[in-house]
Amino acid sequence: MMKQDPFKEEPHLRTKLDEYHVDVPDFPMKLKRKRWEQLINVLASPAKNPLEPFISTTNGFIFLKMAPIAGTAALTLIQVLIFL
Amino acid sequence: MILIEREDELMIAYQNGDDDALGGIYNLLKQPLYSFIFRYTRDEQLSIDIVQDSFVKLQRYKHYYDPSKGKLKPYLFQIAYRLMIAKLNRRKKLRTYLPFLTPIGKEEFHHADRMTIREAVAKLPDIQRAVILLFYYHDMTQKDMAEILDIPIGTVKSRLHKAIQRLKEEWERDDDETRSL
Repeated sequence: MMKQDPFKEEPHLRTKLDEYHVDVPDFPMKLKRKRWEQLINVLASPAKNPLEPFISTTNGFIFLKMAPIAGTAALTLIQVLIFL
Repeated sequence: MILIEREDELMIAYQNGDDDALGGIYNLLKQPLYSFIFRYTRDEQLSIDIVQDSFVKLQRYKHYYDPSKGKLKPYLFQIAYRLMIAKLNRRKKLRTYLPFLTPIGKEEFHHADRMTIREAVAKLPDIQRAVILLFYYHDMTQKDMAEILDIPIGTVKSRLHKAIQRLKEEWERDDDETRSL
């Protein structure tokens, strides 16, 4: 079977690839994976802040501050229109 | 002559009822399996999950492994690779529908910094990354890689060639950018 080394002519690339070390954490072998454990792991992993695009701009920040006020005003108005 | 590795012997013992042999297989293959998944995904928790899931699958289907068809290492890598691709695809869907629940993926690097090998490998297309990792870090033969990735040997060769070219180009581009800064 062919096992010709395509890296033979690439000593620089070889050196670079050799620099890539991985630290293997200590974790046990599981006998059975529990579905809920996997779900908890996914839910507990750090996730992107969905409001980040708003926080980074002034207009977005103002929108975030005003949105609850506008929402409350709209809800009040709906109630006023319905019940009065 | 086929060289029988220690893990293959342990697997045969495990298939014959020696449950302690599984611990030996885990000690021998946990490290390479984790390294492969981590270099591919750069996600520690996902890599741990995949390694553990792969061993659960190995236990559940221990009699499916046939030593006459190949070694245990590529067999286990194939299980892990399939699990990893399925999980990554599931994550992609989750990212589309529920972006705020998606774990943060690969870290992006700043262009002002010099590119490290981690970033260069991460920037490779998925199909090329798998081939280069298996070949360079895990000494897999082209036949083994073809089986793990479920592609023809010719495709393995061309992907390996393209991945090497691409890595070289990345380094050259990075060197040029660093010089011009």
